[in-house]
Amino acid sequence: MSSVAALTIICFSFKPDTKKQWIAPTSGASKTNPQKGSESISNGKALFAKHCQSCHGKTGKGDGLKASELKTEPGDFSKIIFQSQSDGSVFYKISEGRDDMPSFKKKISDANDIWDIINYVRTLKK
Amino acid sequence: MKSPHFLQLANICLLITGLLSWGKIAAQTTNGDSVQNANSAHVNEKKSPVKNTFESNLILDNQTVMVPQKGTLEFDIQHRFGIVNNGYTDFYGVFAPAIIRMGFEYVPVKNIQLGFGLCKDKMQLDFNVKYAIINQQKNGIPVSVTYYGNIVIDTRSKSNFVSSGDRLSYFNQLLIARKIDSKISVQAAISLSHFNNVPGYIDADGVIRNSLQNDQFTLSFMGRYKLSEKMAFLVDYDQPLTQNATNNPFPELAFGLEITTSSHCFQIIAGNSQYILPQNNALYNQNDLLKGQYLLGFNMTKLWSF
Repeated sequence: MSSVAALTIICFSFKPDTKKQWIAPTSGASKTNPQKGSESISNGKALFAKHCQSCHGKTGKGDGLKASELKTEPGDFSKIIFQSQSDGSVFYKISEGRDDMPSFKKKISDANDIWDIINYVRTLKK
Repeated sequence: MKSPHFLQLANICLLITGLLSWGKIAAQTTNGDSVQNANSAHVNEKKSPVKNTFESNLILDNQTVMVPQKGTLEFDIQHRFGIVNNGYTDFYGVFAPAIIRMGFEYVPVKNIQLGFGLCKDKMQLDFNVKYAIINQQKNGIPVSVTYYGNIVIDTRSKSNFVSSGDRLSYFNQLLIARKIDSKISVQAAISLSHFNNVPGYIDADGVIRNSLQNDQFTLSFMGRYKLSEKMAFLVDYDQPLTQNATNNPFPELAFGLEITTSSHCFQIIAGNSQYILPQNNALYNQNDLLKGQYLLGFNMTKLWSF
């Protein structure tokens, strides 16, 4: 009985931390978004579908086709906990990546395109 | 005196210019004051490059004006099945002998792409270059212009050739494209294919003559219509311009569906040209669409950013 309890404790001890905090550095988080308007949102929507949707889902709820393969939770963009972040903070995370989230600074080399994605993601707020 | 060939080319250039400027003309106002206002507004509007005219280097059997961003490596697999005419016997060409090309392209400096590939058809090795000369701009340049060229070496054994120069063929193409709106992109291209060696025949006087010209001009039109953010409908038409003594190549018409993701592009094709390498399609296409001689195929590309 005690060995089963010990095994259970060990297993849970090594369970990946799917909700590890991710805080952007102040220098990144304080960046302001130069893009605005419907054209920016429209471009962001197209880029989101191409680069983000497979993991984050069509409406950003973290329910994309590949989401179940991820070790880290992709988050829910419709929730306040995500939407309360600054644009600069989201820009830093998209650019740099972490764990399952790839770095997009080479793949999306025009910074304005990343700002456009952020503008679109803001529309997913519920 | 200008030759008829020159006049033909001049007419074609006028046609291309007309087609590509259609979107711009349609957007212009006819009222004089409005034109003046629109012009002054344009001066104030910032010029910016138009992005994603196409999502891939390839549009079915042709190239697009797109050159990926610097540091991009692309891997291509192009596959063309046999023609569908045999029906169930070879499962509509899917189990017939296929032509396959595998290739790599890399963008070492902005707007210039270099690549190479190997094709199963005659084991042809190609080296290619693509240069984005002009990029369409919002409130600026109305079209994108790109040059694409290749040199192809037939790498089969020596016994197939009289001299080593017979192995070589070349392709030069000027592509002009315009993204009309967020859904529609159109492209026109003029190309010159050159073969050092072409098939011959012996005429009634016993003289050996070329059955095909060494140089073949082709005019192409392509279009892309976005059905959704990830899917698009594609069309590609090639019209041979040069007349040959025999075996004139047939025009090519292909339709396709394109599905794109962050680093992949997949195109499913139904068309009547099967050779993959553009100069071979330009000179040797003997599939007649009117006789139902079309085939299925696909292009797959994978991108890496460095």
